[in-house]
Amino acid sequence: MDYLTVAMAKGRTAERAMKFLEKSDVHFSEFTDESRKLVIYDDKQKIKLIFVKAVDVPVYVEKGAADVGIVGKDVMMEDPRDVYELLDLGIGRCKLAVAGYPDTPIENIPFLTVASKYPLVAKEFFDKKGIRTEMIKLNGSIELAPLIGMSDVIVDIVETGTTLKENGLVVLQEMADVSARLIVNKASYATKTEDIQQFIKDMKEGLGVRS
Amino acid sequence: MYSEILGNEHEKHEKIIGTLGKRFTTYGYKRIKTSAFEQYDLYSNVRTSINQNEMIKVIDYTGEVLVLRPDVTIPLTQQLVQLNDNLPEEMRYYYVQEVFRQTFQENERIGKTQAGVEFYCKSSPASDAETIMLACHALRDVGFTDVKIEIGYAGFFNELIADSDITAEQTAELKTLIQAKNVVEIGPFLQRLSIDPSIKEVLEQLPLLYGAPEVVFERLQNLQVSESAQDAIKYLQRTCDIVELYGLKKHIVIDLGLINHMGYYSGIIFQGYVENFGKPVLMGGRYDALSEEFGMKLPAIGFACEIESLVKASSTREKKERYSIDVTVIYEESRIKYAIDITNELRERDYRVISKPMKDAEHQTDSLYTIQLTEQQNNLVDQEEMKEFIDFKQLLDLIASKKGVPEWII
Repeated sequence: MDYLTVAMAKGRTAERAMKFLEKSDVHFSEFTDESRKLVIYDDKQKIKLIFVKAVDVPVYVEKGAADVGIVGKDVMMEDPRDVYELLDLGIGRCKLAVAGYPDTPIENIPFLTVASKYPLVAKEFFDKKGIRTEMIKLNGSIELAPLIGMSDVIVDIVETGTTLKENGLVVLQEMADVSARLIVNKASYATKTEDIQQFIKDMKEGLGVRS
Repeated sequence: MYSEILGNEHEKHEKIIGTLGKRFTTYGYKRIKTSAFEQYDLYSNVRTSINQNEMIKVIDYTGEVLVLRPDVTIPLTQQLVQLNDNLPEEMRYYYVQEVFRQTFQENERIGKTQAGVEFYCKSSPASDAETIMLACHALRDVGFTDVKIEIGYAGFFNELIADSDITAEQTAELKTLIQAKNVVEIGPFLQRLSIDPSIKEVLEQLPLLYGAPEVVFERLQNLQVSESAQDAIKYLQRTCDIVELYGLKKHIVIDLGLINHMGYYSGIIFQGYVENFGKPVLMGGRYDALSEEFGMKLPAIGFACEIESLVKASSTREKKERYSIDVTVIYEESRIKYAIDITNELRERDYRVISKPMKDAEHQTDSLYTIQLTEQQNNLVDQEEMKEFIDFKQLLDLIASKKGVPEWII
């Protein structure tokens, strides 16, 4: 039996995606919150879910290790891959933004030091403004960088803004809307067209969108 | 960086090359080789997808810059143009050679073995369909069962935006969105561009123009497109019809969102996928404009595949040895269906076969047998005599009686 392999990161987005599928009668009863399994199958043995790190989802899909992936647009922007991007799941909504101390200038200045998990996106953004940048790639606690004077501003995803506020920072400029996307391997789309279209349909029904 | 092909892998590698070579031969292709070194200028003057910094440069003793063969199509076409005089109307060549591209990933080989065919012929749905059939046939021979060929039309996107006033940057972004079938963002993006609304509608539909030919062509009927785009669609449709005559219906998918991945492609483009492999294993298309860059019209279609990818994707399936002999099938236009049937059947039996319409067949092809299909009768001709046959069984018997029964008919 050939499975449809779906890659996603563990967490809220994965749980909501599974809820959507349940509405279309696709159940993962094997899955529990405490489970540490990295591979689970749906009850009808048609879908194989693999849990990987979010930034790796596009890699798995591009290489064909997974047929389908669910991943935030932010990841796709930082690391564009040769895959199809077929659906906006509308979950995990947030914004990619420039943040820093209030009144930090980010226009008409020659140079900025920027800390970010998304150095490529950030660099391109400031390049377009004609500002030269020094990029500091960080993997977490980005907000710390301006606090200790390591960078002028940060580029990060902002959901509620609570972390920024508690650290005395504000959004200086919004860059893009981010939400979870459904991506598909190009070869799989050709060889497993029906299975994938069915999966997308199930997802859409969960979302309450009719195609 | 290099990774080694060890023992078993290497054997598989050679076996696949053998299989492909044999299949190409049954379609009348002759093997050629091109030089390992090419002029750097050759590549800087031609529109290609090969990046300048991907090429491996070498400086010879006169100080001239050469590159290690980055591809075969371009130098072959240039050479043929230089020969110029008395080129036959049709030429079929295949190659199995290493091509060299600098990779920027560790552990990726710089040299990869490419096997491909180049069919220099006038642009026609029949020749394009035959080339697609060969691609599919070759992949099946290697042992893949779930072969899918995605067919698109290179000029289609460019036709659509030809009269629109958008910047190169916007065009590039639009291409990226269409290639990713990004239905989510393409609508909002188009809103911001000054393009005719009817064209916008087509562009927005482009990612969805994917699937079985009948589905795609039906959807296209509801869309308004320019006359030249209309011609492209007709050509594509005719090609698909013939591909279906070859019995490939379940192996083909139309994808009008498939955009020119090589600078010089102009008409039909296609790529082949096989089960459980995440990348295309084969790519090809028509490149009528390439020869014009060298100052001559020499239309052609071709494809290439990377042996290393096929090795990775392939199952170990043994292929037994077979015999082969040469046949040319010449038919009157009305007999095309029967000609294709016979050609298919003979090729299935590993004969090397060429088929063409009678009007294009003034010059006899150099083959052991010729089959003539006219309105009135079917003939098998060889150096000695001409014999009539009624059906395929009788034809096989005739050939067998001439050569003796070969071991493969049992």
